[in-house]
Amino acid sequence: MAKTETKAKSLDRHGLTDEQLRAIFRNMLLQRQLDNRGFQLNRQGKVPFALGSEGHEALQAGAAMAFERGKDILAPYYRDLGLAIGIGLTPYEIMLSLFARAADHNGGRQFPNHYSSKHAGLMSFSSILAAHIPHAVGAAYAMKYRGEGGRAVLVTCGDGTTSEGEWHESMNFAAIHKLPLVMLVENNGWAISTPIEHQMAQPEIWKRAAGYGMPGKRFNGLDPIETYATVNEALQRARSGGGPTIVEGTCFRFLAHSTDDNDLTYRTKEMVLEQRKHDPVPAFEQTLLDAGVMSAADIEAMRKDVLRETNDATDKAEAMPYPQASDLYTHLYEGAWQPWQ
Amino acid sequence: MGHRDYFHLVATKSSTKNTPPGFARHGLTDEQLVAILRTMLMHRRLETRGFELNRQGKIPFASAGEGHEAVQAGAAMAFVRGKDILVPYYRDLGLDLGVGLRPVEVLLSLFGRADDHSGGRQFPHHYASKQLGIYTISSVLAAQLPHAVGAAFAMKYRNERDRAVLTTVGDGATSEGEWHESMNFAAVHKLPIVFLCENNEWAISTPLDKQMANPNIWQRAAGYGMPGVVVDGFDPIACYAATKDAMDRARSGGGPTLIEAKCYRFLAHTTDDDDRTYRSREEVETRRKDDPVPKFERLLVEAGILSAEGLEALKRSVLAEANEATDQAEAMPYPLPEALYEGVYADDFQPWR
Repeated sequence: MAKTETKAKSLDRHGLTDEQLRAIFRNMLLQRQLDNRGFQLNRQGKVPFALGSEGHEALQAGAAMAFERGKDILAPYYRDLGLAIGIGLTPYEIMLSLFARAADHNGGRQFPNHYSSKHAGLMSFSSILAAHIPHAVGAAYAMKYRGEGGRAVLVTCGDGTTSEGEWHESMNFAAIHKLPLVMLVENNGWAISTPIEHQMAQPEIWKRAAGYGMPGKRFNGLDPIETYATVNEALQRARSGGGPTIVEGTCFRFLAHSTDDNDLTYRTKEMVLEQRKHDPVPAFEQTLLDAGVMSAADIEAMRKDVLRETNDATDKAEAMPYPQASDLYTHLYEGAWQPWQ
Repeated sequence: MGHRDYFHLVATKSSTKNTPPGFARHGLTDEQLVAILRTMLMHRRLETRGFELNRQGKIPFASAGEGHEAVQAGAAMAFVRGKDILVPYYRDLGLDLGVGLRPVEVLLSLFGRADDHSGGRQFPHHYASKQLGIYTISSVLAAQLPHAVGAAFAMKYRNERDRAVLTTVGDGATSEGEWHESMNFAAVHKLPIVFLCENNEWAISTPLDKQMANPNIWQRAAGYGMPGVVVDGFDPIACYAATKDAMDRARSGGGPTLIEAKCYRFLAHTTDDDDRTYRSREEVETRRKDDPVPKFERLLVEAGILSAEGLEALKRSVLAEANEATDQAEAMPYPLPEALYEGVYADDFQPWR
């Protein structure tokens, strides 16, 4: 299984090795398993909240493969589990966030699914739509200001966020200053309960790029290889001084917005079942089988491994302690200064 | 005195046929063409007056629209009085005059007098007139756009046909988030609104190339799913035609349009700004060669719509009216201190008491 070329038939792999293709698929399986686990734990009353990214697996696993660990910065939004694990977050870290334990990178203080990791280059973010985009642009501006070539910022949002003023201000500023930034829009057609036709009159978000004077491209976000190729090209342009790009991946949101949402109040089960026929996870499994990159036995073994890792992570995180009440005031002010005392 | 009255004083003849080759009047009558020129002349006269009064220490502040005369006078001609709503920005003296604001009302605003529509409390050049359909505005860039979109939404919601909102911004305000949110919302709901951007290439001291990477603002319209139009902002007839077309589309349920009029700002941003600190005199002098006011004067004289004497008479009438308005407004009283709390809450409710 170490060879980089197989008997691949009609698989345009865009330079991805077998190993990378398997890593993408493993990410997709893990993402779905962890998403399900979040919903299960919520229904069991063990975690307060979880967000599902089912339908975004291909897009996120493919995009993460274009990210350069140790160099690039990721400024994700709240539906980016696959991107987070794709750039190196462990399932255990995900579970610490969901369980809000003290060992979580944010000390259990952030919203679930709002990961961050200084080590992985993953910026902490707000749930407020588009609030993280000016921060991402700021990080890209710092890279340019400091003359740090070969680095770029990957920032993501959903389709709904593109209606926010901050999105516009960020795109314009990035274009003026030719910043090393890639704006990845994960267009799943739903902003919680608002369908795309009530969100914008012209549904192709990438077409806005021309107005800002930057390249724009749309891709099939259900295809992880096409996603990788598109995001990789944009990131490479950004890293080499070519400025920002808007890339728009079309995908689906199979689950409700979050564990606190019932999507059957605004869309029908039939709509979702129809979309499920295009589920990117079994589709990519078939692609890898057809190309001979993985055998059925390989896939079965991988599934078992993903489940085991998820179970281990769940058990381990659940067993960790909550933050102490006495830690409430740490990290607020420097030193021992506590102005409220 | 309305533009009809002036027409009979100064026009050579009342005809729409008398035009030289290559002069497209887009259905504008001689009377309307002269009215456009008069608005342009009055616009410039009152701008100059604002700067003069400021330098004399008589008024605190004035902003300047020199270079915007053609776009504003042309666009105003496409506004239907009594039906449409104008939501301008602070550099829209010509639009306000064009939709019916009188010079004395402009001067009352500049002098901050009690009889001003805002009771002397608004910033100078922030006109408002309920009667004329001119919204009062904030100086905060793009803050007026969501209000304009709200007015257009109300027209649609109430099914008020044959009405539309005309709202304006400069090039700098297009970088504001509210601009984007307003454009998107108007497009989603196909609202009866026209977004007119007066691109004069300077956002106070920020040149266009530091404001946006693509200088063609009209090209953003496609991204929102609405028509985008670019027009020579020094050509009042082209500005009229583009605005008329867009307003007609809005009034008939065809949704919003973005118009970009390319013009230039000849003066400093305001009386509080010294533009010599950020742009060269040569740049301004070069652009002055295309000054839309003398250019349109020449056009109307060459077309035989105005005689040389008629033009002189028009200029004299503009100066006389500006002088009268100045004297009249200056003689009016300031608001009284005890009026400070009026118009704040309904009736006698004064929670600070």
